[in-house]
Amino acid sequence: MRKQESLTEHLDWSLFGALMTMLLMGLATVYSVAYNEEAPSLFAFSEKYGRQLFWILFSLFLGLLVFLIDSDIYRRFAIPIYLSTHVLLIVVLFMPAVHGAHAWLGVGSFGVQPAEFAKISTSLLLAKYISGLTVKQQNTRTVLTASSILLIPMGLILLQPDAGTFVVFTSFLFVMYREGLTFDPILLNFVNAIPGVRYKETWVGSHFIPILFALLFLSVVTLLLDSVVFVMPFFVTELQLSGSSLVLFGLLLIYVVSWLLMQRFTTRRERSRMMVVLSLGLILAGGLSFGVDTGFDMLKKHQKDRIELVLGLREDPNGDDYNRNRAMAAVGSGGFLGKGYREASVSSMRTNHVPESETDFIFCPFAEEWGFVGVLVLFFLYFFMLFRIIIIAERQRAAFNRIYAYCVAMILFYHFAINIGMNIGFAPVIGIPLPFFSYGGSSMMSFSVMMFILLKLDAQRKDVLR
Amino acid sequence: MNLEARRNVILSFIILMISVYLIKLFYMQVIDETWTLRAQEIAEKRKVIFPPRGVIFDRNDKKIVTNQTYYNLMMVEDSIVDLDTAALAKLIGWTPKQVHARFKEIVEGEGTYYNKITRKRTLNYQKIRAYPFLKEVTLEEMSKIAPHLSNFKGFHYEATSARNYPYKSAANILGYLSEVYREEIEEDPFYKPGNNIGRAGIERFYEKELRGVKGIKYIVTSALNNAIESYADGKYDTTAHQAPPLKMGMDVELQSYGERLMQKKKGCIVAIEPSSGEILSMVSAPSYDPNLLVGKRNISANYPKLAKDLNLPLFPRPLQAEYPPGSIFKLVQSLIAMQEGVITATSGFPCDKSLVGCHNHPTARNIAEAIQYSCNPYYYMAVRRIIQQGVKRSTNADAEYGLQKWYKYIRSFGLGKIFDTDVSGQRPGLIPNPAFYDKWYGHHAWAFSTIRSISIGQGEVKLTPLQMANIVAIIANKGWYYTPHFVRSIGKKGALAQFNKKHWTMINYQHFDPVIEGMRRVVNEPGGTGKMARLNDILVCGKTGTVQNPHGEDHSVFFAFAPMNKPKIAVAVFVENAGWGGTWAAPIASLIIEKYLKGKVSDPDKEKRILEAQIAFQTAN
Repeated sequence: MRKQESLTEHLDWSLFGALMTMLLMGLATVYSVAYNEEAPSLFAFSEKYGRQLFWILFSLFLGLLVFLIDSDIYRRFAIPIYLSTHVLLIVVLFMPAVHGAHAWLGVGSFGVQPAEFAKISTSLLLAKYISGLTVKQQNTRTVLTASSILLIPMGLILLQPDAGTFVVFTSFLFVMYREGLTFDPILLNFVNAIPGVRYKETWVGSHFIPILFALLFLSVVTLLLDSVVFVMPFFVTELQLSGSSLVLFGLLLIYVVSWLLMQRFTTRRERSRMMVVLSLGLILAGGLSFGVDTGFDMLKKHQKDRIELVLGLREDPNGDDYNRNRAMAAVGSGGFLGKGYREASVSSMRTNHVPESETDFIFCPFAEEWGFVGVLVLFFLYFFMLFRIIIIAERQRAAFNRIYAYCVAMILFYHFAINIGMNIGFAPVIGIPLPFFSYGGSSMMSFSVMMFILLKLDAQRKDVLR
Repeated sequence: MNLEARRNVILSFIILMISVYLIKLFYMQVIDETWTLRAQEIAEKRKVIFPPRGVIFDRNDKKIVTNQTYYNLMMVEDSIVDLDTAALAKLIGWTPKQVHARFKEIVEGEGTYYNKITRKRTLNYQKIRAYPFLKEVTLEEMSKIAPHLSNFKGFHYEATSARNYPYKSAANILGYLSEVYREEIEEDPFYKPGNNIGRAGIERFYEKELRGVKGIKYIVTSALNNAIESYADGKYDTTAHQAPPLKMGMDVELQSYGERLMQKKKGCIVAIEPSSGEILSMVSAPSYDPNLLVGKRNISANYPKLAKDLNLPLFPRPLQAEYPPGSIFKLVQSLIAMQEGVITATSGFPCDKSLVGCHNHPTARNIAEAIQYSCNPYYYMAVRRIIQQGVKRSTNADAEYGLQKWYKYIRSFGLGKIFDTDVSGQRPGLIPNPAFYDKWYGHHAWAFSTIRSISIGQGEVKLTPLQMANIVAIIANKGWYYTPHFVRSIGKKGALAQFNKKHWTMINYQHFDPVIEGMRRVVNEPGGTGKMARLNDILVCGKTGTVQNPHGEDHSVFFAFAPMNKPKIAVAVFVENAGWGGTWAAPIASLIIEKYLKGKVSDPDKEKRILEAQIAFQTAN
C-alpha cells in the first residue's frame, strides 16, 4: 500500500525537536540532582544519570522500532494491546508491594510499571472505539462503553493503589468532550423522565466536563480566599473585603465584562438568550461559592485540616505537609535567575531535604537551579509541545489519529499540571512523574513510545483515507 | 454543534493553567522571600545563636546565678577523613567501643521520619550536619583536647554556656535546667531537641523571662555545604538578646547561713520581709549544692543519689510539708475571738486541765498571758465561744454557723489555699469548713465538742511552713500582707506589679497589740517558752510550738518577728523530730534574725551548739 520512503519523511520536526530538547533538559537535571563526585561520568551506570541515559537511549531505540512498523497496526490491534496491558495490570497486583503499592513488575531497579503503558493502550482503544461511532450513534450505551474503557484500568490501578495515575486517567474525559461524546444522553434520560419535558440536548450535559472543572476551580478559589481578609484602598477610606466576598466581586466583574462584550459583538436575537445563560451562570456560581463556604464550615475538624493542608492554608512543615513544604522552599528559593547549575542546595539528592527529588519532585532542582527564567523556558517548551500536538491532532484526516493525539495532549497536560502543581502547592502530593524529566525507566519508555506513535501516525496521515 | 470549537475550550484550559502557575511561580520565586528563608532553614544555612540565660541577683545585688562557658565537641560525619577511633577515644578518655556506641547513639537519637506519600522511613540524621559528640566539656578538659583536634578532621568545638551557682545554696528555690521533652518542643517552637529548659523553681517559673531572644544568622553556602558568607549582607539576620537580670528578694548570705545552721538536721526555715512579702530565705534541710544538677552528665550522676537519700533533700519541706500548726494557731484564734467580740484583751480563763491537757503555769489573766503560757484550756474556752455563739437554737446548727464565720476569718489570712505567686510546688494545707465536717460526720451531726482540737491547732488543721511564716508577717504588719514571693523585679522595669497588691485580713489593727505583747513575753519575760530566742539589743517577739508527730519524736517549731516596733523579718523555723519548740527552733530563729539585722552573730556558743547538733539525720547511706 505504502511505497518505501525515508523514515523521516513527513516527520513533524518541531514536535520532535521539542521532545529532544525536553529529554536533554531532563537528563541534565537528573545529572545535577544525583551528581556523585566519585563517579562524575555521564555514562557511569552505577549512578542515576547513567541509568537515565540508558533509558533515554533505549526509548529512542523503541521510537525507531515504532517508526519501522506501519502505523495501521495500532488501530487494528488496539483491542489485543489493551487486553495484554490489562493482563499485566492484574498480574502486578500479585507482585510484592514496593513502598506499599503493587505497581512494579520485575526485579530490583529494572522493574516496569504496567500502569504507565495502560495509558497508551487505553488511548488507542478509546481512539478506535470513538472513531468508529457516528454522531447518531451517541446514546447511553456508547457513552457507557467508552466510559468503561477508562473505568476498567482505573479500577485496577486503584487496587495497586496508585492515586496519581488514577487521576491522570480522568484526562480522557477531555478527549471525550472534544469528540462530542458527552454524558448528555444519560442526563437526558433523567430529564425527559419528567412528564411534559422533551429535550434533544441539555447544555449542562454537553459541556459536563468543562463545567465540572470550572466548578472545581471556583470551589478551590473560594476556599483559598475563605480565610483571607483583603484590605483594598478605596478612595478615601480603606475597604475591608473577606475572601468569599472577593470571589463574588470577581464573578460580578466577569459578568459585567461579558455583558459589555456581548453588547459590542452579538446580535440582538442572540443577546437575550445569552443574557439568560450569563445571569443564570452568575447566580449558580455565586450560590456555589456561598455553598462551599458554609459547607466547609460545617465539616468536622480533621476533614477541614485535611482540605486546608491540600490547599496550603495550614502549615504542618514536619508532618503531613513535609514533602510539599520542602519542595516549595526549594522552588521558591530559586529566585529570578536561579542558583546555578549543580548548585541546588535544598533539593539535591546529596542533602536529601526534598525526598524523591530525582523522580516526582524533579521540578524542584530545575526551578531551584534555573530560577524563574528557567521555569519560563520550560513552560514555553511545554506549551509549545501541547499546542503543536493539538495542531497535529486537528490536521489529521483519520478520526483515530486525532483522538489519539488528543489523548496524548491531555495526558501530558495532566502530568505537567499535577506534577508542577505539587511543587508549588497547587495540587495534592500524589506521586506522578514529570514527563521526560523524572528519573525512571517506565515513565521514560511509555512517554517516548506514546510520542513516537503520535509522530508516526502523523507522518503517515496522508496514507490513510478514512 | 461545532465540535472543532471545543479545541479552543481545551486550549483555554491549558493557557489558564499556565498563566496561573506562572503568576504563582513568579510570586514564589521573585517577590516572596519567605520560601527563600524557609530554604535556608531547611538546608541548615542558618545558625541559631542562643543567648546566655539571664543572670539572677539577690536583694543586695550579689550575683547568685551566673553562666559559665562550656564547650561542645561537634562532629560532621561528611567531613571526617580516616578517623583513628582509638586515638580519638584516648584523647577524650573513652574506650573505642564507647566512641562507636556514641556514633550510633547520635544517629538513632535523631529519630526517623515516615513519609506518608512515598511510604519510606528515612533517618532525620544528616551526614552534612554538625552534631554534638561530647556535651558540656569544661574549659579545662577542652584545653587538653583542642590542640589535637587538627588530627581529627570533621571534629570541632563550639562554645556554649551552662548555669553556675557561686554560693552553692538555694537549690530548692532556684531549681535547675534540663533537656526539653518532646512534648515541650511540640508545644513551643522556641525549643529544639537538646535545648535546656527550666525544670523547677525560679528557673522554671521565669523560663520565658530568663531564656532571652534567640538570634538567627543566615549564611550562603555552596552545594557542598561550606559556609561562604552572610546572606544578603545580614538583612534577615537577627541578633540574640540575653534576658534582663532577675532581682530576687532573697538574701543569699542569710540563705547560706540558714542552710549551714540546718546541716545534719531535717526541717526548714522560712523568712519573709513583712513590709514587702519578699521571701528573704527559704531553707529546706537537708540542702544540696545546685551545681550538682548542672548539665546532663551531672544530672544523671547526682539526681538519682539525691532522690534516693533517706533524708529526702529533694522534698520541698517549706512548701509541701503540711503540719498541724500547733501553738502558733493560738495567735490566730486570739485575734478572731477578739474581732468577733467573744473575748476582750483582758479576758481571763482558768487553766482547767479537765478540758484539755496543759502544763503547770500561773493562770492566764489576759490574752498576753495566755500566749505567754500557751495555755490550752484558755483557747479551748475562747474558741468554743467563737464556734458556739448561741445564735441558733440547735447546738449543731450553731456550730455550723460559728465555724463558717471562723473559716472566713482564717481564709483572710491566706490559709487553706495556694498563694498565687512565683513559688511553685506549694500545697494548700487544710482549713476545715462546715462542708468538710458534714462529709465526715454528717450534716448537723457535729458541734464544737467534736472539732475542739482545732482550737489549739491540732486535729484536722494543716498548714505549710510558708503559710505559717506568712501568719507571723501578718501579725508583724498588724493585719495585712503582701503575697510571699521570690522575685522583686525583672530588668529595669521596677517591682513586679502582680505582687504589689495588699491583702487585708478581717482583723482590726488594735487587736494585734495584746497578741504582740504576748509574743514579746514569750521571749523576753521569765516563764516564757522561747527564752532561747532572746537577743540583747533586738526585741524579738516569738511563739514556740510543738508539732505532734504520730510517727516519732515531735517537731520543734518556733515563729518570730523582729524588731518588735518596726518589724523587718518574720521567720518560721521547723526542726523535725527535735522535740520541744524552745530547745532547737528558738535559738535557730534568733540566729537568723540577728544575722539578717546585724550581719553577724553575737553569741558564738549558741551558734556552735546548733552547728554541731545532729538530729534524727540518716548519715549511713
